[in-house]
Amino acid sequence: MIAHTLFAYIFVAMILFSIGLLGVISRKNIFVIYMSIELMLNAINLMFVALSHYHHDMGGQVMAMMVIAIAAAEAGVFLSLIVVLYRRKKSLDSDLFRTLSQKEVA
Amino acid sequence: MMDILFLLLSSFAILGAVGMVSFHQPVHSALSLILTIMALAGLFALLSASFLFMVQIIIYAGAILTLFIFIIMFLNVKEANLPKEPNKAMTLFLGSLALLPLNFLILRAFYKMPLHVNPVASDFGKIKPLGMELFTHWLLPFELISILLLVALIGAVVLGRKDEA
Repeated sequence: MIAHTLFAYIFVAMILFSIGLLGVISRKNIFVIYMSIELMLNAINLMFVALSHYHHDMGGQVMAMMVIAIAAAEAGVFLSLIVVLYRRKKSLDSDLFRTLSQKEVA
Repeated sequence: MMDILFLLLSSFAILGAVGMVSFHQPVHSALSLILTIMALAGLFALLSASFLFMVQIIIYAGAILTLFIFIIMFLNVKEANLPKEPNKAMTLFLGSLALLPLNFLILRAFYKMPLHVNPVASDFGKIKPLGMELFTHWLLPFELISILLLVALIGAVVLGRKDEA
């Protein structure tokens, strides 16, 4: 009866969210950081859908669709940013992408 | 039957996520993320969200991650251009230790939550009731999302052009 309890789904969603957060805080590859953000969005989606199933309310599924749309918008902007940054720096190291916070070292 | 499916799908999801954070090459990470996305689509189907199951496969695995893998291959990143992470295993281990208290707090809060255990209606999560909900209660957020997508489209075009100045 595991598949019929809310807690099992919340548990899986929390594990996935923590792995995503772990990827953001401990990796340097900008692609992996982006994928970790996507993973966190997906974990929250799972939580939304599980809660909507257990409250018999369709609002959670609508919210999950909104999250998917936001993820698509984020993908477009983020990938074009990565392409521009990679053309300039020839690297995927997120430590080099400091031009918003500091003066660029030529 | 449901339990076996749930255990299989969730273990695939977690396995894919662990692979995603620990692989060195971005292409391997992206393929591993696709495994997670597909397993999550299966979990949506177990939760009787049949329309979201299709959306997850078509939009996420089919559009977003394909675009992502396309960009990785388009950039053609060499091994020398990847960031060097000599103590990656150590930082991943310490980071996961640091995230344990957060998990403990949130899971304890959810553990005390009261639940409905009644089975859902037979058309729950199908495309028609979901569309009715979306276009009645959630009409304004839906329109705002379309404006957001337009802004993101313009932003991606503006950022992606070659700078002439």
